[in-house]
Amino acid sequence: MLNAPQSASRADQTLSLNMKLLAHHELAGFGGLGEGIGMQLTSDGRRILWLAHESAPKNFSGVDVTDPQNPKLIVQTELPHMKLRSNSLDVVGNIMVVAYQATTVGIKPAGIDIFDVSQPETPRLLSHFDCSGPYSRGVHAVWFVDGRYVHMSSGASDFQPRNPLDDQFYRIIDIIDPEKPVEVGRWWYPGTREGDEAPPPPRLPAQFDTGFRTHNTNVFPEQPNRAFIGYIDGGAVVLDISDMKNIKVVSQWNHSPPFNGFTHTVLPLFDRGLWIVSDECVQDNGADWPKLVWVVDSRNEANPVPIGTFPAPPYDAFAKRGGRFGAHNLHENLPGPTSFRSDTIIVGSFFNAGVRVYDTSNPYQVQEIAYFVPGAPKLSPAGAIQLNDVYVDDRRIVYTVDRFTGGLYILEMNI
Amino acid sequence: MTWSRDALAGKIPVTLVTGFLGSGKTTLISKLLLHPDMRRVAVVINEMGEIGIDHDLVTVSSENITLLANGCICCSVRTDLQETLRDLFAQRRVGEVFDFDRVIVETTGLADPAPVVQTLASDTLLAAHYRLDGLITLVDGLHGVGQIDQQTEAVKQIAIADKVLVTKTDLTTADHLETLCGRIRQLNSQSPIEFIRQGEVDPKSLIDLGLSSSRASLKTLQFLGEALNDAAVADVNGTGRYLGQRSATHNSTVKTLSLRFTEPFEWLSFSSALELLTTLRGPDLLRLKGIVNVDGDPVVIQGVQHIIDTPVKMDRWPSDDKDSRLVFIVRNMELDVIRNLFQAVGAIKSTSLSAT
Repeated sequence: MLNAPQSASRADQTLSLNMKLLAHHELAGFGGLGEGIGMQLTSDGRRILWLAHESAPKNFSGVDVTDPQNPKLIVQTELPHMKLRSNSLDVVGNIMVVAYQATTVGIKPAGIDIFDVSQPETPRLLSHFDCSGPYSRGVHAVWFVDGRYVHMSSGASDFQPRNPLDDQFYRIIDIIDPEKPVEVGRWWYPGTREGDEAPPPPRLPAQFDTGFRTHNTNVFPEQPNRAFIGYIDGGAVVLDISDMKNIKVVSQWNHSPPFNGFTHTVLPLFDRGLWIVSDECVQDNGADWPKLVWVVDSRNEANPVPIGTFPAPPYDAFAKRGGRFGAHNLHENLPGPTSFRSDTIIVGSFFNAGVRVYDTSNPYQVQEIAYFVPGAPKLSPAGAIQLNDVYVDDRRIVYTVDRFTGGLYILEMNI
Repeated sequence: MTWSRDALAGKIPVTLVTGFLGSGKTTLISKLLLHPDMRRVAVVINEMGEIGIDHDLVTVSSENITLLANGCICCSVRTDLQETLRDLFAQRRVGEVFDFDRVIVETTGLADPAPVVQTLASDTLLAAHYRLDGLITLVDGLHGVGQIDQQTEAVKQIAIADKVLVTKTDLTTADHLETLCGRIRQLNSQSPIEFIRQGEVDPKSLIDLGLSSSRASLKTLQFLGEALNDAAVADVNGTGRYLGQRSATHNSTVKTLSLRFTEPFEWLSFSSALELLTTLRGPDLLRLKGIVNVDGDPVVIQGVQHIIDTPVKMDRWPSDDKDSRLVFIVRNMELDVIRNLFQAVGAIKSTSLSAT
């Protein structure tokens, strides 16, 4: 007996090219995860994958992935209330920094928590750094890789934005004493703060106006005096932070307009004089398409030049598959001992188009070499997978997470 | 920060099933399609009507592609194989068909498999996404001896096989099978022979015959075959028990020749010698497999007739043996001719210090 012919791509089907699923973990039913993934190597030799949840009630989860085919959930924590989300975290050694962002301004707590996770089953709170305020929702994303400075996208009690969409800016927190974090630097897009001399920046059309806010704030040991900032509608911004009290702009590149804004990540490939810049798709059903990953020639810091985009997954197959479709997070070549690092292979999460692997050996002609699109997770409100973030470890094992219900997918690259 | 991609690992393996008319291909394919271990395998067949799978159809995604209850994709050739394989990949890419992990192709009865190999090697889209994993040849257990004696195509199909399946073994005698295996061994001394009946075969026995990674491992040695290590060792002086001598008793036109060279090659001189050989004697060069020392680096070579696959540079030598080793299955050619050719051309270096 025959069923009706299938027309197009089906959200319940898994698609894969050169990637194999090793394990899937639904995280005890709380499989909605944000964009914070970190890996800890414990003193007894275990690998703990720390995951920030996308929304309340859960805060973060720790999963033992020593055997990637047999992941074990070892701890899952709660947020103090439902108007909070953790979304982002980073781990160095046994110190973990977790971001807290409230649903609206004026809610507490909002800021960062610093934990001692030397006993991963029982994380111990060392301190809370408050970023709440009458105009602040707190912290959206943290970058903490050197054991000392937390670079983050945050509001502050003393910061009144001219436009409420511009509430989060770049802040640097020194946690050399993790029990006494102190702010040591900050930078915001000129014209976005009440009282700025600069005029307010021209905004994108209302349906694409997502704010002049920081998203990712990456600083690498290869060039510790540079911060690579995805400034959402402000584009890619590179800052000279050699004097944290006096931060200066060294590069600015923005594809919008005419594109639809939301620059998310600026990933430098130092040896090659390139940046890989990812957008974030924030609207369902392809409404803000195209959201791309860009290749930018950065040999001259003062004049970054876009030289190409990653080949995007086919619009016809994915745009109407359910939920968001387009670029989001990249694996960011973190400096720690457990992170995969490559100046040619780039791995990204693309919501309903899954996780995708690219070879940028020829920066003018990037090739897609692998992908994995899980079938729609059970009970997902999007009706399709929504891969939100990705981390690749030093064993080249890929960890990727769903935004709503799917939890953690552990994959092997065959490239 | 640098590591190189594995040139082969990402490609979808393709197994070709060939065999003389009446050797039992349709029976084998019909059984294979319904085997529980065929999930995520795409099988390309010639004619859907010949295969009785009507009760197992689940969905038809297009006029020639069908998903079976066991998760196997059955695809009939519409115009030609090239177009069919392209179409399958494109549909897989956008999720219109299941993301199959491998392909098995049934070749037509009389067909010479070489053009199929050529299609895979020369179509840039196919070459980028598929790799030939192995050639399986079915030999009729009842009539095989006669076909080898009378049909040059049957001889060729056996000579180039990575694995030989002898069918209808329930319809013949042990003595007859022994004679048949002897004849097969004369044509192809290296590839395994398996007896099957009623087309019953474990899909696992049809896969992983080829080179699947450019990262050297034990599997590389298995792929290259024992002959490369055993027989060729004694051949350094040209006096050893090279396999060609074994073939002298019957059908002496087809021989297996093993060669070993201790002196590394320059790529230009090695490829020039190979090109000369394929140009002049391509039709008689049935099969070639080997590992070549190119300025110290291991490069795996394989070919069918005049089609030489893209050479694969391995990340390291799979064992301590760093000599170039080549195994040819040839028709009407002598070992010395081939050895002399490679030695003579190999001796010509593109950069000579004496000239300056």
